[in-house]
Order: sequence, then C-alpha cells, then structure tokens
Amino acid sequence: MTESKFETVSSLVDNYQLDDKELIDVSNDEQMSDTWSRYHLIGDVLRDDAPSTIDLDISLNIASAIAAEPTVLAPQRKTVTQQVKATVIKLAKPFGQVAIAASAATLMIVGVQQNVAQTEQIIPNQVVQTMPVFGTADPVSLNVSQKPSQEAKRQAYMEQQRRFQALLADHQQQLKLKQITVQAEKQVENNIQ
Amino acid sequence: MRSLFLIPLLLSSFLSAAVENDQAYTSLEKLSQSLRTLNFTTSFVVVKNNNAEPYHWSHGINEDNAEVEVLSILNGPHRDVVRRNNIVSYLESGIEPYSVNSVFIASPIPEIFSGNTEKLIKNYDLVSAGRSRILGRVAQFIRIIPKDPFRYGHWVWLDKDSGLLLKLAVINDNGQVLEQIQFTHLELDETINPSLQQIELTDLPTVIELPDLVQKQDHAWGVSWLPEGFVEINANTHRIMHTKQPTEFKMFSDGLVDFSVYVSPSQDENRPSGFAQDGATIAFNEVINGIEVSVVGKIPASTAQKIASSLIFKVTP
Repeated sequence: MTESKFETVSSLVDNYQLDDKELIDVSNDEQMSDTWSRYHLIGDVLRDDAPSTIDLDISLNIASAIAAEPTVLAPQRKTVTQQVKATVIKLAKPFGQVAIAASAATLMIVGVQQNVAQTEQIIPNQVVQTMPVFGTADPVSLNVSQKPSQEAKRQAYMEQQRRFQALLADHQQQLKLKQITVQAEKQVENNIQ
Repeated sequence: MRSLFLIPLLLSSFLSAAVENDQAYTSLEKLSQSLRTLNFTTSFVVVKNNNAEPYHWSHGINEDNAEVEVLSILNGPHRDVVRRNNIVSYLESGIEPYSVNSVFIASPIPEIFSGNTEKLIKNYDLVSAGRSRILGRVAQFIRIIPKDPFRYGHWVWLDKDSGLLLKLAVINDNGQVLEQIQFTHLELDETINPSLQQIELTDLPTVIELPDLVQKQDHAWGVSWLPEGFVEINANTHRIMHTKQPTEFKMFSDGLVDFSVYVSPSQDENRPSGFAQDGATIAFNEVINGIEVSVVGKIPASTAQKIASSLIFKVTP
C-alpha cells in the first residue's frame, strides 16, 4: 500500500473533502476500507466511544444470522388479532360480574355493619325530648345557683333512654300476652251460649 | 233547567264514592279471609327510624284443616313465632320458650287484618284510593283514615289477585310516613309449604295458663279521657321487663291499635314529661307528685299526653 493511499484514507477519516474518484477507490479497495474502519475504531477507542464488544464486521454477522433463521410460515396477522379480541371479551365479562358482585358484597358488609352498630345503640335515631314537651317551661328562679353538671345531665339522659327502652320492650311483651284474656272471654261467651 | 241535569251527576258521584268505600271494606274483608285460608310464603321489611328489619312469614292449611304459621325476624338474635291453630309459641333467644292460647301472632302487621274488619268502621273511614303497582303486582290502595285527630292513619296496598297485603304505611295527620312495611317476596301455593309441615312434628312449649283474673285486676286508678272507641282489654300488675320495676298496667285497644298505660310510685317528686319515638310507637313518661305515668303505643304524642294527664284515683270509701 502506498503512502498516498493512506493519506487519502486519513483525509477521509478526518472529513476532508475528497473527489469522487478517491472515494470510489477507498470503498473498492479492501485494504483501504479496512484501514478506514481501523482508523475509525482507533478514534472511537481514543474518544472512549468504543462499544463493549467490538464486532468488526456487523454486516457479515447479520447476514449469517438471517441465513440461519428457519423459514416460518407465519399465520395471517388478521386471525391473530381476532383470537386475541375474543379472549379478551370472554375474560372481561366474568371479571366484570365478579367485580360487580364483589362491590355489592362490600356494600352489604358495610350495610350490615352499620345495622349492627345501630342495633347496638339503645334505640337508633330516637327522638328523645328531655325538656317539657307540652305546656310551659319551668319558671326561671333567681335562687337557682347550681346548674346540673354535664356528667349529671348525661346520666339523666342515659337513664331516660333506659326507661323508654324498657317501656317499649314491655309494651311489646304485653301485646304478646294480651290475647290470653281475649281468648278467655271468647271461651266464657261460648260457655254462656 | 240546567241544574236539573246536574242532579243525576251529583248523585252518581255520591254513589260512586259509596261504591268505592264498599269496595275498600270488601277488600279488607278479603284480606282477612286470605290471611286465614291461603298457603303463602312471604318476606317483608319493617322500615322505621331509618332502619330496616327483615321478616320471613309463611302460612298454610294442613290436612286437618288447621292453620299453621311461622314468623321469623331475620336480623339479630333469633326470634320466631309459631302458631298452630289457637296455640302461639314464642321462641326467642335468651328467654325460656312459652306458648299462649291465641289465634293471633304478635307481629308488625295489625292483627285486625286477619280478624274482624267490622271493628274498624266504627273509628275509621275506609277509602279506596285507586290502583298502583307494588311488588310487581297490581295493588289496590286503601286508606284507613281516623275519624278523629287522636290516632294515626294506615295506608294499605292489597294484591288484586290474592287479596294479600303488599305494603302498609302508618301516617300522621301531616301525611308523614312514620313506619312502613314493604313486602319483598310473595309466593302462593296450592298446598302447604313443606317446612310448615315440619312444625306438625315438633313439640311446642307448654301453654301458659293464666287465671282469668290476672288480666282483669281492679286498679285504684283509671283514665278519665280516652279517644272514642278505645276500650280496656287488660289490667294487671307486673314488673317492667328490663328495669324490674313493679307497675300497675292497663291496655286499651280500638281494634286497630293498642296502647299501654303504666302507673307506679316514683322516687322522684316530679319529672318533666318527655317522650321517645320508635317508628310510629311512642313512649311517653312523666312524674307528677311522686306518681310515674307512662303511655306506650302507636298513637300521637299529644294523645298520649292527654291520656296521661287524665289519670284519676278512685276514692275508696
């Protein structure tokens, strides 16, 4: 290889303007193109741009890889998408139902918990009037020096709640027992007749 | 001349109103008949205080032509009522089961609906108010309107085909719904439900035999005012269930609703009047001069107050 040839390659690497003839020479001459790629590699290494594995001839590798690839009769693209779609729909439906059922179950659980909480109260949402309901309020007295404490008020309220609860329960119980007399009366009536 | 034409029109409108009321009465009679004779399995919820209580109820006629029915509350502790003809058994968790002689079960549904409808017309107007759709069925809507302002109105929706109850609402005089019963399921059968036949085989608790006088006690007090049509049905002395406080007790009924009056001495000298409202049921309480008076029942608060303040003591010679 002559000095001028190397100069040409060197100028090409350094991006100097070359005429078409010189370019064709470089690409056609194996020795020159090898030198060109070596110069570039040296430059890459110096600039720390070199890849971790240096494949000196990528094009050859690719060509051989393509040659090694088995011939596949690929299924038509259209069919594939249809199958995928169908599966998605099939899966989505039951999942949707499950999701709805699950959310309903959650609602029910929440509802039940609320109900439990409500029944645990003495009487849910009870309207209890602790002040006089009818007529006039107690006359205001200047001698009243002590107001009942919060605790006493609360206790009185609780006692009131218990009293009303007991009354409501007892009324229900008496309703169950009331028929005894009605029946007895009927028997008496029948006996008289 | 024109007014003459109006007369038949007016007459016909009066007549149609009368026919509608007759229709309401006949429908309620049919309800009573149906509740006594049909084989049905049904579920309903009682809606009050922003809370719903679900019940299951089945009724049937067995081979011996006897009525069998079971009513169960589905939430909370077990409470079942079983009736076999004239024996009603109460099976409740935490209480020794017992039976009483009765043809009615204590239920959220007023017993008069399966009893003698005639008792209603004395104190209530029955008005047929058209048709609507309840529980997916054609329902006849009837208003049971009190003749005085001292009690609540009841609105009922009855199945056109079977005559059975589909919905019930207790209404105050402002038209506010205080309590509702909504049926959620109704199944009619030709034959008795097999689960009811099971009851035929079970031993029911023994019947409590109370001497007649237990419920006919003569107390030294009475109420001087009652809304018209209410009569005393029971009078006894017992201890209030939870507080164990001994009390003298009377129960009054106008056929549709019942209320209780409790009178006992109190440790307090005076306690301002107060009340608690549980759906349509009111509990009224006050202490005056060391005497505690309570009135409980499905009546307006003002009526309860009026009854309580009419308390009088008989002067024993």
